[in-house]
Amino acid sequence: MSTQNLVETHNLTKEYGKVRCVDSVNMRVAPGAVYGFLGPNGAGKSTTLKMILGLAKPTAGDITLFGTPVNEKNRIGLLKQTGSLIESPSYYGHLTGEENLQIIQTLKGCSEKDIDKVLKIVRLDEARKKLVNHYSLGMKQRLGLAAALLGFPKLLILDEPTNGLDPAGIQEMRNLIRSLPEAYGMTILVSSHLLSEIDQMADHVGIIRKGELVYQDSLESLHAHAREQIALRVSHTAIAADLLRQNGMEVSQEEDYLLLPMLDDKQVAALCRQLISQNVSLYRIEKREKSLEDIFLSLTGKESSL
Amino acid sequence: MITLQMEFKKIRRKKIGLTMFALLGIQFAWLLWSTNNPNEQELLQGWLGHLQSQPLICAIMMPTIMSVLASRLADIEHKGNTYKQLKTLKTAGALYRAKVLCGFLFLFLMTAANFLFLLLLGYKYGYVGNPDPKAYLAAFILQIACCLSLYLLQLDLSMLFFNQMIPLVVGLCGSMLGVILMYLKTYSFLPWGGFLSSALVMMDWNPDTRVITYYYRDYTPIELFAVAMIFVWIVFFYTAGKILFTRKES
Repeated sequence: MSTQNLVETHNLTKEYGKVRCVDSVNMRVAPGAVYGFLGPNGAGKSTTLKMILGLAKPTAGDITLFGTPVNEKNRIGLLKQTGSLIESPSYYGHLTGEENLQIIQTLKGCSEKDIDKVLKIVRLDEARKKLVNHYSLGMKQRLGLAAALLGFPKLLILDEPTNGLDPAGIQEMRNLIRSLPEAYGMTILVSSHLLSEIDQMADHVGIIRKGELVYQDSLESLHAHAREQIALRVSHTAIAADLLRQNGMEVSQEEDYLLLPMLDDKQVAALCRQLISQNVSLYRIEKREKSLEDIFLSLTGKESSL
Repeated sequence: MITLQMEFKKIRRKKIGLTMFALLGIQFAWLLWSTNNPNEQELLQGWLGHLQSQPLICAIMMPTIMSVLASRLADIEHKGNTYKQLKTLKTAGALYRAKVLCGFLFLFLMTAANFLFLLLLGYKYGYVGNPDPKAYLAAFILQIACCLSLYLLQLDLSMLFFNQMIPLVVGLCGSMLGVILMYLKTYSFLPWGGFLSSALVMMDWNPDTRVITYYYRDYTPIELFAVAMIFVWIVFFYTAGKILFTRKES
């Protein structure tokens, strides 16, 4: 599989008046990834995705899709390899689900047979002749996903696809999204304001806060940040830190505490002996656990909602 | 072409054609009522009389009819929030063009039906002579042009505003303005005054004999300029609408 990123943005910026909604975002979406675009409400997720799809014009920066810089002339051609579901699903309520898909299929120029396939994938094949106005919200959302899947594009861009779904619907949508890369070789760029959702769906994550991309890496790396630590409070912090570093330990300081990677009981005992032998008094030894939520909150600001 | 085909697929079950011809039916009923039981003088000048009354009826009816047509075509997109999907499949320009062409086909068919009705009415009443083909063709083209300028104005408003009451109110006000303009001058530069400016036949009513005489209009330069304005409005509304729709973010 090619290692060229399917989506790349370079200093992508969007301003509405004097408000900067997206600020110099450099996004990288690798092929075959499920890239979770995470951020609190109003952080700039939808605006970024709209700019990638050409629905909003960037104030600055540029976008590369499938290795080709996007411009007004090649935009539609590049987007033919893309499926999207932005915010709420688009549909004609007075038409049936099948008729809706026929319109998209014709405009997209893909095979008519795809309609049957995508209706089966989203489990709407039995409701295909029903008017969309009579669909439930979950069914409309699934129809939106079916429309995005038409032509089995290389890249699927989904903005909050589980919005408005009941727990069973959320679970179903999540499983479906997770299965797409393996089943159809798709790359997924999916946004959400829910950490748990991205944690269960994505393998790569980008965290946006007030328009700035504050974190971008694999989900595994984000989990690594969530490791357990040993926190020490001692009488002579600087001496203790030097001593621990001389012993090859990774030490960081947070307020009055020295933070060390997780140690077993024997290692902690040895450490205490060594510090005491150097006349460093031990006040506290604590085990700290930084959860994924803590990391997310520290990246996005505690005032933001999850 | 595919985008235009899809426009017709999208309006399935919306009964837009039926709505348009129902509104046109009101116009036909009005025409029937105003030409009922023609006397000798009216039979003599019947063909000319049609060319004088038709633009006046259109000035009242068409702004409303065009606003309904444009609103029906644009509202399906607003209701389903579809522009954000369509704009990833086709350029905004192509989508706008398809809406214009779809509406144009409707208004062309309506105008054709309208003129066919005038001819049938004339032959049924037994108007003296035959209609002047050149004058009727010119009136046909001018009516299409006037309808198109109004349709484009209404389409621009309907595509830009989510709330369709705004364009519909503009259409209704346009109809009222059409009536008012008739009492003021024989021409107007406003889009709603196009029918007035394009009327090829004028009438002279003698209060003593109570006889109406119809005659071909002798256009003054300013009246000709008012006719040219119809085409200027078409170009303006088309260009402005396309630019605004393309720039509008979804």
